[in-house]
Amino acid sequence: MTRNAEGATIVAASVLAGFGVTLVNFAQDLTIDAQVALTFLVFLIGFGGLHLAVRAFAPKATPFLIAPVAALTALGFFQIYRLDLALGTNRAGLQRWWILIAAGLAALTLALLARTSITVLRRYRNITLLVSVILLLLPNLPSDWGLPLRGLSVNGSRLWIVLDVGFTSLQFQPAEIAKLGLVIYVAAYLADHQQALREARRHLGPIAMPEPRQLLPLLITWGISVLILISQRDLGASLLLFVGFVLLLYAATGTAGYLVAGGLLGLIAGVASFIAFDHVQRRVIGWLAPFEHYEDEGFQIAQGLFAMGTGSLSGAGPGLGRPDLIPNASTDFIFAAVGEELGFAGTVSVIALFALVVAVGLGIAFRSRDTFRKLLAAGLTFVLAVQTFLIIGGIVRLVPLTGITLPFMSYGGSALVGNLILVALLLRISHEETQ
Amino acid sequence: MNGPVRRLSIGVFASFFVLLMAVTWIQVIHADALKADPRNTRPALADRGKERGLIVTIDGTVVARSVEDPEDPRSFVREYPEGEAFAHVVGYNSFLVGSSGLEGAYAQELRSKVDLTISDLVTVILGRDLRPESLETTLNADLQRAAFEALGGLRGGVFALDPRTGAVLAAVSSPSFDPESLLGADTQASWDALLADPKSPLSDRATKEIYPPGSSFKTVVASAGIDTGEVEPSTVFPDPEEFQLPGSTATISNAGGGVCNDGQGITLLQAFVVSCNTVFADLSIRLGAEDIGITAAALGFNTDIPFPWTVPQAAYPVELLSEDPAALAQSGIGERDVRAAPLHMAMVAAAVANGGITPTPYLVNRIFDADGNTVETFESSPLGRAMAPATASVMSQMMERVVTEGTGRGAAVPGVRVAGKTGTSTGPEGLPNPWFIGFAPVESPTIALAVFLEGSSELGESASGGGVAAPIAADLFEVWLQRSP
Repeated sequence: MTRNAEGATIVAASVLAGFGVTLVNFAQDLTIDAQVALTFLVFLIGFGGLHLAVRAFAPKATPFLIAPVAALTALGFFQIYRLDLALGTNRAGLQRWWILIAAGLAALTLALLARTSITVLRRYRNITLLVSVILLLLPNLPSDWGLPLRGLSVNGSRLWIVLDVGFTSLQFQPAEIAKLGLVIYVAAYLADHQQALREARRHLGPIAMPEPRQLLPLLITWGISVLILISQRDLGASLLLFVGFVLLLYAATGTAGYLVAGGLLGLIAGVASFIAFDHVQRRVIGWLAPFEHYEDEGFQIAQGLFAMGTGSLSGAGPGLGRPDLIPNASTDFIFAAVGEELGFAGTVSVIALFALVVAVGLGIAFRSRDTFRKLLAAGLTFVLAVQTFLIIGGIVRLVPLTGITLPFMSYGGSALVGNLILVALLLRISHEETQ
Repeated sequence: MNGPVRRLSIGVFASFFVLLMAVTWIQVIHADALKADPRNTRPALADRGKERGLIVTIDGTVVARSVEDPEDPRSFVREYPEGEAFAHVVGYNSFLVGSSGLEGAYAQELRSKVDLTISDLVTVILGRDLRPESLETTLNADLQRAAFEALGGLRGGVFALDPRTGAVLAAVSSPSFDPESLLGADTQASWDALLADPKSPLSDRATKEIYPPGSSFKTVVASAGIDTGEVEPSTVFPDPEEFQLPGSTATISNAGGGVCNDGQGITLLQAFVVSCNTVFADLSIRLGAEDIGITAAALGFNTDIPFPWTVPQAAYPVELLSEDPAALAQSGIGERDVRAAPLHMAMVAAAVANGGITPTPYLVNRIFDADGNTVETFESSPLGRAMAPATASVMSQMMERVVTEGTGRGAAVPGVRVAGKTGTSTGPEGLPNPWFIGFAPVESPTIALAVFLEGSSELGESASGGGVAAPIAADLFEVWLQRSP
């Protein structure tokens, strides 16, 4: 596929977004309004702009990445728009701004890295770590001191910051950006200490361990990050970070012991948090027996399953189902909403598109020449894959629901910004590998 | 280092594959169960505003139809042109308060299969019709309306059927409700008001509520006695003022007190015609619970009667009664432990009319598609033989005497031979429940019915089957026999 073909698929994805909005409008009140053109243009400008940025700053990058991302964003957007009509919210309007902002920031990332190289991130890994931890801590800012920047709790989780800018206030989840910073730091650290970590010099019973001196800084930073997220009751992000870290450690060293140790540690942490936190208990109850606890813990999962089951093979049709009955349909449960209106065909397409994105990301990692690029590409891709698995798996009851969003599709500006910058980083690595 | 990444990649894609399998389970294999879960309101919500099939009577009267919503040209609203008279039979189908009657029982046939989906297209290509199917009931609209009017807002029910086939001619419960009030924006308010109404207009007193049948049950006891050969119409019984209940100080006396005849003796025929309680208490003990139970069961008691909705079993508890002669005597006059809905008592009359074979009632004659072509026709096979043809013939003569010279004179129709049996059982707060069961014309019956009124202050303390229920039956016989062919 050439760069031109990529441009064509971006136009196609924009048409998909506009067409989705058209179908929803038609199903609801038989009219077609300015929303259709607006949506089409926003997708064309956003992803078209990103495409132009790739032409300018990373011309040798893979042409397979932006297209599926644009298609996923389009599928998510049409559901956000559709849920707006049912619930009387105006999330689609905001999400359109965020698409432009996120694509703009992704293009900016490409532009900045064009002057140097992705390795600049390795050089500044400690600053990246510092910035990430500060970002993670930002939501703990007091919310009642009258500062222009303050923390905010939503549904008992303290994940948000609010920035007052005179006429309006912007809400942001800094963890979505910090996630990238932490992956960069871990990849850089592992790349620097790979040899030392690979050689297990100490033995703890049957388990071979590297020099603790080598592992300790990594464990500490990672432990602190996970603890911050747990204290903020961000179950999903803590799990994501934990799994991502363990996978990267294994990727860097090839020592299966890390997977085993990570799995055991995760199990212990899971049991401990189940005993310690009632919100974790509620999640587990809702996961194991949603229909027996239909009135409370299981309601959201049961509604999600009803939605997908009722959608069955071909779905109710855009605008013709009732995804608005699912709590948080446009964020956590957007996959179930797609399943209701586009059916099995829609959900399989979504999973296939994610598989394509992940495959392209892993391909970049395979082809990378040096350790840092390889680990960074793999790490970013794993984070994306694990996040996708955790939330879809939560909806289809493979794992407990962890309350994270579906990349590219869920409503939410911070996540979109974080994930499109992630795509920009992958594109940059891809470009550099073929030099 | 590509090695570990490759192994992890396999893991990632394997977990995506598991996601695919889970989605397949939910949306393909398990989808129908999820769709059918009563807590899943989506199918009902999706059907809201969609076209539903017609419900018509066999004489062509439309009792339920969908018309275009004047406010939304893509949407339909349900209309019930016959309103209250058909409300319990036709029922309603509401996404808020559920469904009942034929609207509920035949929801799948009546609903439009048009979902505007790709699978619709496939279905059409396969040559199947997505438009809703319609129901033709066996009901006679004139008879149904007349029965509802005759009940005049009093609590009660009427059930009429063709004794030869079991085709239901009328099934009316009163007081009733307007099914259209359960469709619009005020559904919840109307529903709450109906539930709070002390006359409980939502109760179906023709098919879903059971009451003591009183003396109309003597038809069952007499049939059992004659059919077993134990007695015949000329058998003479003692004629006391009171019948002493065995093992008890309580007694059974006759309606209005006193003896039934001359205090010396009374034949079974006379006892039946004047509805003599002491004789039937006596006969009941002579026959025993098991013999009466066999006839009762063959007439539809203690049996599940197939109907579009669940009908409670009429009760004649044989085991209980065989150990308690006092209760057995009281049950002989349709009190104590005997319970039946008008549907069951109409079946008793129909069995006598039909030469001893109990017909099974059926309500839907056929299902037809949007072009009027018949999709399926229904008939019922009889429940079975309840008595010998000779017994039925004797019973028929005895029941005719009830109308010509006994308690059922109110049911007489000039120029028509009518047979029947009255009953007055103990109802709510000790108030009398009037009953009448019967059929006409005696020489070749085309209608058998049961008229029931529930004891209430409006009806009064002195209401009796002969005084209140029999005249309603006379009206209905007249309407039926004068029907346009």
